[in-house]
Amino acid sequence: MNTLTLALRGLTRNHRRSIVTLLAIAFGFAAISLFAGYTHNIYSGLARQSIHGELLGHLTLSKRGMSTAGKLDPQRYLLTLDEVARIEAALQHEPQITLIAPRLAFSGLVTNGRASTIFIAEGISPQAMDRLQENMLTEQEARSGMYDRLAKKLDPARESGVALSAGLVELLHLHVGGEAILLVNTLSGQANAMDVTVDGSFNTGNAGTNDKFAFVPLALAQSLLDAEGRADRLTLLLEDVTQTEAIRDRLLAKLSAAGFDLEIATWQELSSFYRQVHGMFNMIFGFIFSIVLAVVLMSVANSVGMTVIERTREIGTLRAIGLKRSGVIRLFATETLLLTLLGCGVGFLLTVGVRYGINGSHIAYTPPNGANAVPLLVDMDYPRILLTMVLMLAVGMLAAFLPSFRSARQHIIDALGHV
Amino acid sequence: MSLSHPRVSVPTQRPASTLLQLREVGRRFMLGETPIDALHAIRFDIHAGEFLAVWGPSGSGKSTLMNLIGLIDAPTTGEIYFDGHCTGDLSDDELTAFRGKNIGFIFQGFNLMPVLSALENVMLPLHIRGVGGREARTRATAALQDVGLAKFIHSRPDKLSGGQRQRVAIARALVVEPRLVIADEPTANLDSHNSLMIIDMMREMNRARGVTFVFTTHDPRLLAHVDRKVLLQDGCIERDESTP
Repeated sequence: MNTLTLALRGLTRNHRRSIVTLLAIAFGFAAISLFAGYTHNIYSGLARQSIHGELLGHLTLSKRGMSTAGKLDPQRYLLTLDEVARIEAALQHEPQITLIAPRLAFSGLVTNGRASTIFIAEGISPQAMDRLQENMLTEQEARSGMYDRLAKKLDPARESGVALSAGLVELLHLHVGGEAILLVNTLSGQANAMDVTVDGSFNTGNAGTNDKFAFVPLALAQSLLDAEGRADRLTLLLEDVTQTEAIRDRLLAKLSAAGFDLEIATWQELSSFYRQVHGMFNMIFGFIFSIVLAVVLMSVANSVGMTVIERTREIGTLRAIGLKRSGVIRLFATETLLLTLLGCGVGFLLTVGVRYGINGSHIAYTPPNGANAVPLLVDMDYPRILLTMVLMLAVGMLAAFLPSFRSARQHIIDALGHV
Repeated sequence: MSLSHPRVSVPTQRPASTLLQLREVGRRFMLGETPIDALHAIRFDIHAGEFLAVWGPSGSGKSTLMNLIGLIDAPTTGEIYFDGHCTGDLSDDELTAFRGKNIGFIFQGFNLMPVLSALENVMLPLHIRGVGGREARTRATAALQDVGLAKFIHSRPDKLSGGQRQRVAIARALVVEPRLVIADEPTANLDSHNSLMIIDMMREMNRARGVTFVFTTHDPRLLAHVDRKVLLQDGCIERDESTP
């Protein structure tokens, strides 16, 4: 028999109270873990959507000032064919970089011959587009079929083939295989128009852009803008998303040493939507976390407080037969630790069960500003589950400390005389 | 409790070594703003191997005296010496360790842990002292055998009779091989048959092992079994008699 056994037996003394406290911990733990799992799924989904769905890649490399002054004077900040080639050469031995894709963004009018509307387009090579969209969906998401229209495709064999967002196709009564005309200003300010074929349509996933976005082959974009061989930025795809920041810093130093005055933005910096959603969910998570921890704190404090009162004579007896004050605190701390651990264990099982139920029930919802429904999925966010457990243990110990400290300080004869 | 009561202290003359010395020990409690003197300048020695009963009417200060002798309470005035060492100099942790090693307790209400078996209850003081599991189990089993409860080692207290529970408590008190056992009204919750059995058992342990026993009682019949009886009245020793 040791302190652990004694603590375990102590928990069985008033098993109803122990079970109620355990369930409070378990439900709190499960609530936090499930919400953490849900937000994890949202974060990873948004990250994949930003990197692969919106074709941001992991890093975007452009001339310094392109994102500010370059908006008004793009010609001055575009990368030349020679610069693109030199940068690609400088980066070709970077093992973490799996793709370097020159891009050229532009806007203009698109018409079906009877009506016109504005569009925003990205010029990119069809091969790079395919590479960037790899790993966009998880197996589960792909199976759900809800994301089928998110894929963007350009035919590398067709120089004038474009992909238009679904809203744009609908707005202009176009159809896949049909013709449209793109009208833009060249870099020098001349009007330029070109017939294109609608090779495909896609859903941007965002109601704000789904009626104006287009992808065109890079060569077509360069031809439209009269910007032969030029690009406004290079999109880099990395092997490991967690290395994004570190590689950005390394590349910046390397390219700067090679004489380039460039800026490199991470996908997180470019995706304000991701940052906003991340910030909002973190705030909600913190709020829920605080409430649950407060409930756990009060439950454990109440439970230990009642236990201490109930077992005052027992504490007196233990003290009389040689248990030191620290031993009394250790005993109740061990009981609380066990109760909290068991609560977290039951909470974990609840999390697994409820998650299985949610993920298997194919619940779908349309997120704010979303263009289509998405499945409600919950991940297992193990780092935050572990953090929740550690914090719950800490809170439990904190809640147990004061009543057990008081009981340990009590005079033995008062404790023995307690009725 | 009268403050003017005459204080009588009768030191006993015995060949055995002195285990415990109380020197002008007083104990005052505060009842709100009112001070209550439970013991008045007690001067009193306990010798190793004695089987001693403290008796007297309710409120005479018996339990207070036992608490002081058992070192679970501290005197307001005076000093208590255990084996010649002043216990007032010890810190709480030192005193607790000292108690765990030298003093066994038998309580009126048995004070057994209800969630532990008889064996585990007896192992408890050994566990507190850091004795290993196997050795603690062996010693606790032997202690329970000594009090005739070999068949009940796995029984929880609620499955035992009052007499059996008190025997478990005796085993728990003796398992650490203490030098002194304090028993505050050990027979108060028992019938006369069990009371005599418990006293006989304590007496036997006293004779066989030389452990010093000090207990309080209301029951005058039990006084016939002791070799020294101290009458306490109004916080003072009224009479200290040795039985030949």
